[in-house]
Amino acid sequence: MSRRPLLLTVFMYGLALALAVLAVGPALWLIVIAFSSTASPINQLPAPSELTLSNFTGAWEEADLLRPLINSVLVTVAQAFFNVVLAALAAYPLARMRFRGRSVIFVVILSTIMIPEQVIIVPLFRTVVAMGLYDTLIAVVLPFSVTAFGIFLCRQAFLSIPAELEEAARIDGAHAGHVWLHVMLPLARPALATLAVFSVIGAWSNLLWPLIVLQSQEQFTLPVAINQLLGVFATNVRYAYAGSVLAMLPILLFFLVAQRFLTKGLLAGAVKG
Amino acid sequence: MKLRAHRPWTPYLFILPAGTVLFIFVIVAMVQVAYYSFTRYTAFEPAAWVGLENYRRLLADQRFWFCLINSFLYLLVTPVLIALSLTAALVVHAALRWAKGLRVLLFLPVVTPTIVAAIAWRLLLNENAGLLNTALTTVGLDPVYWLSERPWTLISAMFVTLWKGFGYYMMIFLAGLVAVPKELEEAATVDGAGRGSILLHVTLPALRPLIVLVAIISSISALKVFDELFITIKGAPISHQTVVPLIYDTAFEVGDYGYASAIGVTLFVVVLAFSLVQLKLTERDA
Repeated sequence: MSRRPLLLTVFMYGLALALAVLAVGPALWLIVIAFSSTASPINQLPAPSELTLSNFTGAWEEADLLRPLINSVLVTVAQAFFNVVLAALAAYPLARMRFRGRSVIFVVILSTIMIPEQVIIVPLFRTVVAMGLYDTLIAVVLPFSVTAFGIFLCRQAFLSIPAELEEAARIDGAHAGHVWLHVMLPLARPALATLAVFSVIGAWSNLLWPLIVLQSQEQFTLPVAINQLLGVFATNVRYAYAGSVLAMLPILLFFLVAQRFLTKGLLAGAVKG
Repeated sequence: MKLRAHRPWTPYLFILPAGTVLFIFVIVAMVQVAYYSFTRYTAFEPAAWVGLENYRRLLADQRFWFCLINSFLYLLVTPVLIALSLTAALVVHAALRWAKGLRVLLFLPVVTPTIVAAIAWRLLLNENAGLLNTALTTVGLDPVYWLSERPWTLISAMFVTLWKGFGYYMMIFLAGLVAVPKELEEAATVDGAGRGSILLHVTLPALRPLIVLVAIISSISALKVFDELFITIKGAPISHQTVVPLIYDTAFEVGDYGYASAIGVTLFVVVLAFSLVQLKLTERDA
Protein backbone atom coordinates (compact mmCIF):
# COMPACT_ATOMS: atom_id res chain seq x y z
CA MET A 1 0.00 0.00 0.00
CA SER A 2 1.05 3.61 -0.50
CA ARG A 3 2.84 5.43 2.28
CA ARG A 4 0.73 6.63 5.12
CA PRO A 5 0.05 10.39 5.05
CA LEU A 6 1.80 12.29 7.84
CA LEU A 7 -1.41 13.49 9.45
CA LEU A 8 -2.74 9.95 9.74
CA THR A 9 0.55 8.78 11.23
CA VAL A 10 0.39 11.51 13.86
CA PHE A 11 -3.22 10.58 14.61
CA MET A 12 -2.35 6.90 15.00
CA TYR A 13 0.53 7.67 17.38
CA GLY A 14 -1.81 9.91 19.35
CA LEU A 15 -4.31 7.05 19.65
CA ALA A 16 -1.56 4.63 20.60
CA LEU A 17 -0.41 6.99 23.36
CA ALA A 18 -3.98 7.47 24.65
CA LEU A 19 -4.57 3.70 24.75
CA ALA A 20 -1.27 3.12 26.53
CA VAL A 21 -2.15 5.73 29.16
CA LEU A 22 -5.59 4.16 29.59
CA ALA A 23 -4.07 0.69 30.00
CA VAL A 24 -1.38 1.50 32.56
CA GLY A 25 -2.60 4.76 34.10
CA PRO A 26 -5.07 3.41 36.68
CA ALA A 27 -2.69 0.71 37.94
CA LEU A 28 0.25 3.14 38.07
CA TRP A 29 -1.78 5.64 40.07
CA LEU A 30 -2.77 2.89 42.49
CA ILE A 31 0.91 2.04 42.97
CA VAL A 32 1.81 5.69 43.57
CA ILE A 33 -0.89 6.13 46.22
CA ALA A 34 0.00 2.79 47.84
CA PHE A 35 3.50 4.17 48.42
CA SER A 36 2.34 7.50 49.85
CA SER A 37 1.35 8.46 53.39
CA THR A 38 -2.14 9.60 54.42
CA ALA A 39 -0.79 13.16 54.49
CA SER A 40 -0.69 13.10 50.69
CA PRO A 41 -4.00 13.74 48.88
CA ILE A 42 -5.14 11.05 46.43
CA ASN A 43 -5.32 13.48 43.51
CA GLN A 44 -1.74 14.71 43.67
CA LEU A 45 1.66 13.20 43.18
CA PRO A 46 3.13 12.78 46.66
CA ALA A 47 6.07 14.93 47.70
CA PRO A 48 9.27 12.88 48.18
CA SER A 49 8.88 13.28 51.96
CA GLU A 50 5.42 11.68 51.77
CA LEU A 51 6.67 8.45 50.20
CA THR A 52 6.48 5.56 52.63
CA LEU A 53 6.34 1.81 53.02
CA SER A 54 4.01 2.10 56.01
CA ASN A 55 0.94 0.97 54.04
CA PHE A 56 2.71 -2.27 53.20
CA THR A 57 3.82 -2.93 56.76
CA GLY A 58 0.36 -1.92 58.01
CA ALA A 59 -1.39 -4.25 55.57
CA TRP A 60 1.07 -6.97 56.46
CA GLU A 61 0.22 -6.64 60.17
CA GLU A 62 -3.53 -6.24 59.79
CA ALA A 63 -4.17 -9.03 57.27
CA ASP A 64 -1.00 -11.10 57.72
CA LEU A 65 -0.52 -10.98 53.95
CA LEU A 66 2.19 -13.66 53.89
CA ARG A 67 -0.37 -16.40 54.53
CA PRO A 68 -2.79 -15.26 51.78
CA LEU A 69 0.16 -14.88 49.41
CA ILE A 70 1.24 -18.49 50.05
CA ASN A 71 -2.37 -19.71 49.81
CA SER A 72 -2.88 -17.90 46.51
CA VAL A 73 0.28 -19.46 45.08
CA LEU A 74 -0.81 -22.95 46.25
CA VAL A 75 -4.33 -22.60 44.88
CA THR A 76 -3.13 -21.16 41.58
CA VAL A 77 -0.46 -23.79 40.96
CA ALA A 78 -2.83 -26.63 41.90
CA GLN A 79 -5.66 -25.32 39.76
CA ALA A 80 -3.44 -24.84 36.70
CA PHE A 81 -1.84 -28.28 37.19
CA PHE A 82 -5.16 -30.13 37.46
CA ASN A 83 -6.74 -28.12 34.65
CA VAL A 84 -3.99 -29.21 32.28
CA VAL A 85 -3.63 -32.83 33.45
CA LEU A 86 -7.32 -33.72 33.77
CA ALA A 87 -8.19 -32.01 30.48
CA ALA A 88 -5.31 -33.66 28.62
CA LEU A 89 -6.27 -37.07 30.04
CA ALA A 90 -9.90 -36.79 29.01
CA ALA A 91 -9.08 -35.27 25.62
CA TYR A 92 -6.81 -38.14 24.51
CA PRO A 93 -9.43 -40.87 24.01
CA LEU A 94 -11.93 -38.29 22.76
CA ALA A 95 -9.49 -37.37 20.00
CA ARG A 96 -7.79 -40.67 19.27
CA MET A 97 -9.70 -43.78 20.36
CA ARG A 98 -12.84 -45.48 19.11
CA PHE A 99 -15.17 -46.58 21.85
CA ARG A 100 -18.84 -46.86 22.65
CA GLY A 101 -20.48 -43.58 23.70
CA ARG A 102 -17.65 -41.35 22.52
CA SER A 103 -19.75 -38.71 20.79
CA VAL A 104 -22.38 -38.68 23.55
CA ILE A 105 -19.70 -38.17 26.20
CA PHE A 106 -18.11 -35.40 24.17
CA VAL A 107 -21.41 -33.57 23.65
CA VAL A 108 -22.29 -33.83 27.35
CA ILE A 109 -18.86 -32.46 28.30
CA LEU A 110 -19.21 -29.58 25.84
CA SER A 111 -22.70 -28.76 27.08
CA THR A 112 -21.31 -27.96 30.53
CA ILE A 113 -19.81 -24.81 28.97
CA MET A 114 -23.36 -23.43 28.89
CA ILE A 115 -23.72 -23.57 32.69
CA PRO A 116 -22.08 -20.59 34.40
CA GLU A 117 -20.50 -21.03 37.83
CA GLN A 118 -22.64 -18.15 39.14
CA VAL A 119 -25.87 -20.07 38.44
CA ILE A 120 -24.89 -23.18 40.42
CA ILE A 121 -23.05 -21.43 43.24
CA VAL A 122 -25.58 -22.55 45.91
CA PRO A 123 -25.38 -26.32 45.22
CA LEU A 124 -21.60 -26.06 44.78
CA PHE A 125 -21.43 -24.59 48.25
CA ARG A 126 -23.75 -27.22 49.74
CA THR A 127 -21.80 -30.06 48.10
CA VAL A 128 -18.47 -28.76 49.37
CA VAL A 129 -19.92 -28.41 52.89
CA ALA A 130 -21.37 -31.95 52.70
CA MET A 131 -17.95 -33.27 51.69
CA GLY A 132 -16.47 -31.70 54.83
CA LEU A 133 -14.29 -29.38 52.74
CA TYR A 134 -15.71 -26.01 53.86
CA ASP A 135 -12.97 -23.53 54.76
CA THR A 136 -10.20 -25.53 53.06
CA LEU A 137 -8.04 -24.69 50.06
CA ILE A 138 -9.12 -28.00 48.47
CA ALA A 139 -12.65 -26.61 48.30
CA VAL A 140 -11.34 -23.62 46.34
CA VAL A 141 -9.69 -25.81 43.69
CA LEU A 142 -11.74 -29.01 43.41
CA PRO A 143 -14.92 -27.81 41.63
CA PHE A 144 -12.84 -25.93 39.06
CA SER A 145 -10.05 -28.49 38.61
CA VAL A 146 -11.15 -29.13 35.02
CA THR A 147 -13.21 -27.23 32.46
CA ALA A 148 -14.92 -28.28 29.26
CA PHE A 149 -13.04 -25.47 27.53
CA GLY A 150 -9.72 -27.05 28.56
CA ILE A 151 -10.79 -30.48 27.29
CA PHE A 152 -11.89 -28.92 24.01
CA LEU A 153 -8.57 -27.09 23.61
CA CYS A 154 -6.53 -30.25 24.29
CA ARG A 155 -8.70 -32.33 21.96
CA GLN A 156 -8.11 -29.86 19.13
CA ALA A 157 -4.37 -30.03 19.77
CA PHE A 158 -4.35 -33.86 19.81
CA LEU A 159 -6.41 -34.02 16.61
CA SER A 160 -3.72 -32.09 14.75
CA ILE A 161 -0.93 -34.52 15.72
CA PRO A 162 -0.10 -36.89 12.80
CA ALA A 163 -1.44 -40.40 13.48
CA GLU A 164 1.82 -42.03 12.28
CA LEU A 165 3.71 -40.80 15.35
CA GLU A 166 1.22 -42.44 17.67
CA GLU A 167 1.10 -45.65 15.60
CA ALA A 168 4.88 -45.95 15.61
CA ALA A 169 4.88 -45.92 19.39
CA ARG A 170 2.09 -48.46 19.54
CA ILE A 171 3.83 -50.85 17.14
CA ASP A 172 6.71 -50.76 19.58
CA GLY A 173 4.24 -52.12 22.13
CA ALA A 174 3.75 -48.98 24.23
CA HIS A 175 0.50 -48.90 26.18
CA ALA A 176 -1.93 -45.98 26.08
CA GLY A 177 -0.60 -44.24 29.19
CA HIS A 178 2.91 -44.31 27.79
CA VAL A 179 1.81 -42.89 24.43
CA TRP A 180 -0.12 -40.14 26.21
CA LEU A 181 2.83 -39.12 28.37
CA HIS A 182 5.69 -39.50 25.89
CA VAL A 183 4.09 -38.81 22.51
CA MET A 184 0.92 -36.79 22.87
CA LEU A 185 1.82 -34.40 25.71
CA PRO A 186 5.16 -33.25 24.26
CA LEU A 187 3.62 -32.64 20.84
CA ALA A 188 0.69 -30.69 22.29
CA ARG A 189 2.95 -28.49 24.40
CA PRO A 190 1.89 -25.11 22.91
CA ALA A 191 -1.80 -25.77 23.62
CA LEU A 192 -1.06 -27.12 27.10
CA ALA A 193 1.06 -24.05 27.88
CA THR A 194 -1.74 -21.74 26.74
CA LEU A 195 -4.22 -23.60 28.93
CA ALA A 196 -1.83 -23.44 31.90
CA VAL A 197 -1.26 -19.69 31.51
CA PHE A 198 -5.00 -19.02 31.25
CA SER A 199 -5.68 -21.15 34.33
CA VAL A 200 -3.00 -19.34 36.32
CA ILE A 201 -4.40 -15.90 35.44
CA GLY A 202 -7.97 -16.99 36.21
CA ALA A 203 -7.17 -18.74 39.48
CA TRP A 204 -5.04 -15.84 40.75
CA SER A 205 -7.90 -13.39 40.18
CA ASN A 206 -10.72 -15.57 41.51
CA LEU A 207 -12.80 -13.77 44.15
CA LEU A 208 -16.43 -14.98 44.30
CA TRP A 209 -15.88 -18.68 45.03
CA PRO A 210 -13.06 -18.34 47.60
CA LEU A 211 -15.11 -15.59 49.28
CA ILE A 212 -17.92 -18.12 49.74
CA VAL A 213 -15.99 -21.21 50.84
CA LEU A 214 -13.26 -19.65 52.97
CA GLN A 215 -14.01 -18.39 56.44
CA SER A 216 -10.90 -18.28 58.59
CA GLN A 217 -8.11 -15.83 57.99
CA GLU A 218 -5.42 -18.55 57.72
CA GLN A 219 -7.19 -19.94 54.65
CA PHE A 220 -7.74 -16.64 52.81
CA THR A 221 -6.37 -16.15 49.32
CA LEU A 222 -5.05 -12.69 48.38
CA PRO A 223 -8.27 -11.38 46.77
CA VAL A 224 -10.30 -12.41 49.84
CA ALA A 225 -7.76 -10.82 52.19
CA ILE A 226 -7.79 -7.60 50.15
CA ASN A 227 -11.56 -7.58 50.21
CA GLN A 228 -11.34 -7.74 53.99
CA LEU A 229 -8.89 -4.81 54.05
CA LEU A 230 -11.56 -2.86 52.16
CA GLY A 231 -14.35 -3.84 54.55
CA VAL A 232 -16.17 -1.85 57.20
CA PHE A 233 -13.66 -2.71 59.91
CA ALA A 234 -10.71 -1.57 57.82
CA THR A 235 -8.50 0.97 59.56
CA ASN A 236 -6.82 2.45 56.51
CA VAL A 237 -7.96 2.07 52.93
CA ARG A 238 -4.35 2.55 51.76
CA TYR A 239 -3.60 -0.87 53.27
CA ALA A 240 -5.95 -2.30 50.64
CA TYR A 241 -4.00 -0.39 47.98
CA ALA A 242 -0.76 -1.88 49.25
CA GLY A 243 -2.32 -5.34 49.26
CA SER A 244 -3.50 -4.75 45.70
CA VAL A 245 0.01 -3.89 44.53
CA LEU A 246 1.24 -7.07 46.18
CA ALA A 247 -1.44 -9.11 44.36
CA MET A 248 -0.71 -7.44 41.02
CA LEU A 249 3.08 -7.66 40.79
CA PRO A 250 3.56 -11.47 40.80
CA ILE A 251 0.95 -12.08 38.11
CA LEU A 252 2.29 -9.26 35.91
CA LEU A 253 5.80 -10.70 36.18
CA PHE A 254 4.46 -14.16 35.38
CA PHE A 255 2.65 -12.78 32.34
CA LEU A 256 5.68 -10.93 31.01
CA VAL A 257 7.67 -14.17 31.20
CA ALA A 258 4.90 -16.37 29.77
CA GLN A 259 3.27 -13.98 27.31
CA ARG A 260 4.70 -15.54 24.16
CA PHE A 261 2.73 -18.75 24.87
CA LEU A 262 -0.43 -16.81 25.50
CA THR A 263 -0.14 -14.65 22.39
CA LYS A 264 0.52 -17.64 20.17
CA GLY A 265 -2.31 -19.68 21.67
CA LEU A 266 -4.77 -16.81 21.57
CA LEU A 267 -3.99 -15.97 17.97
CA ALA A 268 -4.14 -19.63 16.89
CA GLY A 269 -7.33 -20.32 18.84
CA ALA A 270 -9.13 -17.28 17.51
CA VAL A 271 -8.32 -17.99 13.87
CA LYS A 272 -9.44 -21.58 14.14
CA GLY A 273 -12.66 -20.25 15.68
CA MET B 1 1.83 -54.55 10.84
CA LYS B 2 -0.07 -55.30 13.98
CA LEU B 3 -1.30 -52.45 16.14
CA ARG B 4 -1.81 -53.21 19.76
CA ALA B 5 -5.41 -52.20 20.41
CA HIS B 6 -6.24 -50.52 23.68
CA ARG B 7 -8.16 -52.47 26.26
CA PRO B 8 -11.91 -51.84 26.15
CA TRP B 9 -12.00 -49.84 29.40
CA THR B 10 -8.89 -47.74 28.73
CA PRO B 11 -10.72 -44.73 27.19
CA TYR B 12 -13.15 -44.58 30.11
CA LEU B 13 -10.26 -44.61 32.60
CA PHE B 14 -8.75 -41.58 30.87
CA ILE B 15 -12.04 -39.69 31.01
CA LEU B 16 -12.94 -40.74 34.55
CA PRO B 17 -11.22 -37.98 36.61
CA ALA B 18 -12.46 -35.06 34.50
CA GLY B 19 -15.82 -36.75 34.01
CA THR B 20 -16.34 -37.16 37.75
CA VAL B 21 -15.56 -33.50 38.47
CA LEU B 22 -17.80 -32.19 35.67
CA PHE B 23 -20.56 -34.60 36.65
CA ILE B 24 -20.65 -33.68 40.35
CA PHE B 25 -19.83 -29.99 40.11
CA VAL B 26 -21.70 -29.02 36.95
CA ILE B 27 -24.34 -31.53 35.87
CA VAL B 28 -25.58 -32.67 39.29
CA ALA B 29 -25.24 -29.09 40.55
CA MET B 30 -27.49 -27.88 37.73
CA VAL B 31 -30.13 -30.47 38.67
CA GLN B 32 -29.75 -29.47 42.33
CA VAL B 33 -30.17 -25.74 41.69
CA ALA B 34 -33.33 -26.45 39.69
CA TYR B 35 -34.66 -28.60 42.56
CA TYR B 36 -33.73 -26.09 45.27
CA SER B 37 -35.56 -23.38 43.35
CA PHE B 38 -38.81 -25.24 44.08
CA THR B 39 -38.11 -25.57 47.81
CA ARG B 40 -38.02 -23.50 50.94
CA TYR B 41 -34.41 -24.04 51.89
CA THR B 42 -32.38 -21.81 54.18
CA ALA B 43 -29.19 -21.96 56.21
CA PHE B 44 -31.41 -22.95 59.18
CA GLU B 45 -33.88 -25.46 57.72
CA PRO B 46 -33.60 -28.35 55.24
CA ALA B 47 -35.17 -28.16 51.78
CA ALA B 48 -38.96 -28.57 51.70
CA TRP B 49 -40.98 -28.57 48.46
CA VAL B 50 -43.05 -25.41 47.97
CA GLY B 51 -43.70 -25.58 44.22
CA LEU B 52 -43.58 -22.25 42.46
CA GLU B 53 -43.55 -20.10 45.58
CA ASN B 54 -40.00 -18.78 45.04
CA TYR B 55 -40.85 -17.78 41.48
CA ARG B 56 -44.04 -16.07 42.62
CA ARG B 57 -41.96 -14.18 45.15
CA LEU B 58 -39.53 -13.15 42.38
CA LEU B 59 -42.30 -11.56 40.34
CA ALA B 60 -43.25 -9.32 43.26
CA ASP B 61 -39.71 -8.59 44.45
CA GLN B 62 -38.64 -5.06 43.57
CA ARG B 63 -34.99 -5.77 44.43
CA PHE B 64 -34.94 -8.58 41.89
CA TRP B 65 -36.43 -6.41 39.14
CA PHE B 66 -33.97 -3.62 39.84
CA CYS B 67 -31.07 -6.06 39.60
CA LEU B 68 -32.41 -7.74 36.46
CA ILE B 69 -32.90 -4.37 34.75
CA ASN B 70 -29.39 -3.37 35.85
CA SER B 71 -28.06 -6.61 34.33
CA PHE B 72 -29.64 -5.67 31.01
CA LEU B 73 -28.34 -2.09 31.30
CA TYR B 74 -24.91 -3.57 31.93
CA LEU B 75 -25.05 -5.05 28.42
CA LEU B 76 -24.43 -1.51 27.15
CA VAL B 77 -20.80 -2.20 27.99
CA THR B 78 -20.63 -4.50 24.95
CA PRO B 79 -20.76 -1.95 22.08
CA VAL B 80 -18.25 0.29 23.86
CA LEU B 81 -16.02 -2.70 24.48
CA ILE B 82 -16.15 -3.65 20.79
CA ALA B 83 -15.38 -0.10 19.63
CA LEU B 84 -12.47 0.21 22.06
CA SER B 85 -10.92 -3.19 21.37
CA LEU B 86 -11.36 -2.81 17.60
CA THR B 87 -9.68 0.60 17.71
CA ALA B 88 -6.85 -0.87 19.76
CA ALA B 89 -6.45 -3.74 17.29
CA LEU B 90 -6.35 -1.37 14.30
CA VAL B 91 -3.73 0.82 16.03
CA VAL B 92 -1.54 -2.17 16.95
CA HIS B 93 -1.99 -3.66 13.47
CA ALA B 94 -0.97 -0.40 11.76
CA ALA B 95 2.67 -1.47 12.21
CA LEU B 96 3.77 1.62 14.09
CA ARG B 97 7.08 1.53 15.83
CA TRP B 98 6.83 -0.30 19.21
CA ALA B 99 3.64 -2.07 18.04
CA LYS B 100 4.66 -5.27 19.80
CA GLY B 101 5.40 -3.46 23.04
CA LEU B 102 2.07 -1.66 22.79
CA ARG B 103 0.27 -4.98 22.33
CA VAL B 104 1.81 -6.36 25.52
CA LEU B 105 1.06 -3.12 27.37
CA LEU B 106 -2.61 -3.14 26.36
CA PHE B 107 -2.90 -6.74 27.58
CA LEU B 108 -1.66 -5.92 31.11
CA PRO B 109 -5.14 -5.01 32.45
CA VAL B 110 -6.43 -8.43 31.33
CA VAL B 111 -3.89 -10.10 33.60
CA THR B 112 -4.52 -7.77 36.55
CA PRO B 113 -6.78 -9.42 39.16
CA THR B 114 -10.29 -7.97 38.90
CA ILE B 115 -10.33 -6.91 42.54
CA VAL B 116 -7.16 -4.88 41.92
CA ALA B 117 -8.64 -3.30 38.79
CA ALA B 118 -11.78 -2.40 40.75
CA ILE B 119 -9.77 -0.87 43.60
CA ALA B 120 -7.67 1.17 41.15
CA TRP B 121 -10.85 2.59 39.59
CA ARG B 122 -12.45 3.17 42.99
CA LEU B 123 -9.48 5.36 43.76
CA LEU B 124 -9.84 7.35 40.51
CA LEU B 125 -13.62 7.64 41.00
CA ASN B 126 -13.45 8.72 44.66
CA GLU B 127 -16.25 11.26 45.01
CA ASN B 128 -14.40 13.76 47.22
CA ALA B 129 -10.90 13.83 45.86
CA GLY B 130 -10.54 11.30 43.04
CA LEU B 131 -8.69 12.29 39.88
CA LEU B 132 -11.84 12.22 37.74
CA ASN B 133 -13.89 14.55 39.94
CA THR B 134 -10.85 16.77 40.41
CA ALA B 135 -10.60 17.04 36.62
CA LEU B 136 -14.33 17.79 36.33
CA THR B 137 -14.31 20.54 38.95
CA THR B 138 -11.13 22.03 37.50
CA VAL B 139 -12.89 22.64 34.19
CA GLY B 140 -15.88 24.08 36.05
CA LEU B 141 -18.24 21.08 35.99
CA ASP B 142 -20.05 19.55 38.94
CA PRO B 143 -18.52 16.51 40.60
CA VAL B 144 -20.24 13.19 39.81
CA TYR B 145 -21.44 10.75 42.48
CA TRP B 146 -19.71 7.82 40.81
CA LEU B 147 -19.99 5.42 43.72
CA SER B 148 -23.37 6.22 45.24
CA GLU B 149 -25.85 7.51 42.66
CA ARG B 150 -27.66 5.65 39.91
CA PRO B 151 -26.86 5.29 37.04
CA TRP B 152 -23.26 6.35 37.79
CA THR B 153 -22.68 3.32 40.03
CA LEU B 154 -23.33 0.99 37.09
CA ILE B 155 -21.20 3.12 34.77
CA SER B 156 -18.34 3.05 37.28
CA ALA B 157 -18.40 -0.74 37.38
CA MET B 158 -18.52 -0.75 33.57
CA PHE B 159 -15.30 1.29 33.47
CA VAL B 160 -13.62 -1.62 35.25
CA THR B 161 -15.12 -4.21 32.88
CA LEU B 162 -14.01 -2.12 29.90
CA TRP B 163 -10.53 -1.56 31.26
CA LYS B 164 -10.00 -5.20 32.11
CA GLY B 165 -11.61 -6.57 28.95
CA PHE B 166 -10.56 -4.57 25.92
CA GLY B 167 -7.04 -6.03 25.68
CA TYR B 168 -8.44 -9.55 25.45
CA TYR B 169 -10.89 -8.77 22.66
CA MET B 170 -8.18 -6.75 20.92
CA MET B 171 -6.18 -10.00 20.59
CA ILE B 172 -9.13 -11.72 18.92
CA PHE B 173 -9.53 -8.84 16.44
CA LEU B 174 -5.77 -8.82 15.79
CA ALA B 175 -5.92 -12.48 14.82
CA GLY B 176 -8.73 -11.58 12.43
CA LEU B 177 -6.85 -8.62 10.95
CA VAL B 178 -3.82 -10.80 10.24
CA ALA B 179 -6.13 -13.16 8.34
CA VAL B 180 -7.71 -10.47 6.10
CA PRO B 181 -6.38 -11.25 2.60
CA LYS B 182 -3.83 -8.61 1.58
CA GLU B 183 -4.94 -8.95 -2.07
CA LEU B 184 -8.40 -7.59 -1.22
CA GLU B 185 -6.97 -4.40 0.26
CA GLU B 186 -4.45 -4.06 -2.58
CA ALA B 187 -7.13 -4.55 -5.21
CA ALA B 188 -9.22 -1.86 -3.56
CA THR B 189 -6.22 0.49 -3.52
CA VAL B 190 -5.61 -0.12 -7.22
CA ASP B 191 -9.25 0.71 -7.83
CA GLY B 192 -8.56 4.04 -6.17
CA ALA B 193 -10.28 3.45 -2.84
CA GLY B 194 -9.12 5.65 0.03
CA ARG B 195 -7.99 4.33 3.41
CA GLY B 196 -11.30 5.18 5.04
CA SER B 197 -13.34 3.33 2.47
CA ILE B 198 -11.03 0.30 2.56
CA LEU B 199 -11.51 0.13 6.33
CA LEU B 200 -15.26 0.49 5.93
CA HIS B 201 -15.84 -1.73 2.91
CA VAL B 202 -13.08 -4.35 3.08
CA THR B 203 -11.58 -4.68 6.55
CA LEU B 204 -14.66 -4.35 8.76
CA PRO B 205 -16.84 -6.72 6.69
CA ALA B 206 -14.03 -9.28 6.83
CA LEU B 207 -14.06 -8.96 10.63
CA ARG B 208 -17.84 -9.30 10.91
CA PRO B 209 -17.85 -12.91 12.22
CA LEU B 210 -15.35 -11.95 14.93
CA ILE B 211 -17.37 -8.87 15.87
CA VAL B 212 -20.41 -11.11 16.36
CA LEU B 213 -18.30 -13.54 18.38
CA VAL B 214 -16.95 -10.80 20.65
CA ALA B 215 -20.43 -9.28 21.05
CA ILE B 216 -21.76 -12.60 22.32
CA ILE B 217 -18.82 -13.54 24.57
CA SER B 218 -18.76 -10.11 26.17
CA SER B 219 -22.56 -9.98 26.58
CA ILE B 220 -22.59 -13.31 28.37
CA SER B 221 -19.76 -12.28 30.66
CA ALA B 222 -21.53 -8.96 31.30
CA LEU B 223 -24.56 -10.93 32.52
CA LYS B 224 -22.27 -12.83 34.92
CA VAL B 225 -20.52 -9.76 36.34
CA PHE B 226 -19.80 -9.83 40.09
CA ASP B 227 -16.33 -8.64 41.18
CA GLU B 228 -16.55 -5.25 39.46
CA LEU B 229 -19.77 -4.30 41.26
CA PHE B 230 -18.97 -6.00 44.57
CA ILE B 231 -15.71 -4.08 44.93
CA THR B 232 -16.06 -0.86 42.91
CA ILE B 233 -19.34 0.29 44.46
CA LYS B 234 -18.99 -1.52 47.80
CA GLY B 235 -21.46 0.08 50.18
CA ALA B 236 -24.05 1.05 47.56
CA PRO B 237 -27.50 -0.54 48.12
CA ILE B 238 -28.41 -3.78 46.35
CA SER B 239 -30.68 -1.89 43.93
CA HIS B 240 -27.48 -0.57 42.30
CA GLN B 241 -26.22 -4.10 41.67
CA THR B 242 -26.93 -6.79 39.08
CA VAL B 243 -28.24 -10.36 39.32
CA VAL B 244 -25.09 -12.20 40.46
CA PRO B 245 -24.41 -9.90 43.44
CA LEU B 246 -28.10 -10.42 44.34
CA ILE B 247 -27.58 -14.22 44.28
CA TYR B 248 -24.52 -13.81 46.50
CA ASP B 249 -26.38 -11.55 48.92
CA THR B 250 -29.50 -13.74 49.05
CA ALA B 251 -27.61 -17.02 49.53
CA PHE B 252 -24.64 -16.07 51.64
CA GLU B 253 -25.63 -12.91 53.54
CA VAL B 254 -29.31 -13.73 54.12
CA GLY B 255 -28.93 -17.54 53.93
CA ASP B 256 -31.98 -18.09 51.71
CA TYR B 257 -30.74 -20.90 49.45
CA GLY B 258 -34.09 -21.75 47.83
CA TYR B 259 -34.80 -18.20 46.74
CA ALA B 260 -31.20 -17.63 45.60
CA SER B 261 -31.53 -20.81 43.48
CA ALA B 262 -34.64 -19.44 41.79
CA ILE B 263 -32.70 -16.29 40.90
CA GLY B 264 -29.89 -18.53 39.63
CA VAL B 265 -32.23 -20.48 37.38
CA THR B 266 -33.59 -17.21 36.01
CA LEU B 267 -30.05 -16.08 35.21
CA PHE B 268 -29.42 -19.43 33.49
CA VAL B 269 -32.45 -18.94 31.25
CA VAL B 270 -31.26 -15.46 30.27
CA VAL B 271 -27.71 -16.64 29.55
CA LEU B 272 -29.05 -19.64 27.60
CA ALA B 273 -31.17 -17.34 25.45
CA PHE B 274 -28.04 -15.37 24.59
CA SER B 275 -26.12 -18.58 23.77
CA LEU B 276 -28.90 -19.67 21.41
CA VAL B 277 -28.84 -16.30 19.67
CA GLN B 278 -25.09 -16.83 19.32
CA LEU B 279 -25.61 -20.23 17.68
CA LYS B 280 -28.11 -18.75 15.22
CA LEU B 281 -25.85 -15.83 14.34
CA THR B 282 -22.71 -17.92 13.89
CA GLU B 283 -24.61 -20.46 11.80
CA ARG B 284 -25.66 -17.67 9.47
CA ASP B 285 -22.05 -16.55 9.14
CA ALA B 286 -20.70 -19.99 8.41
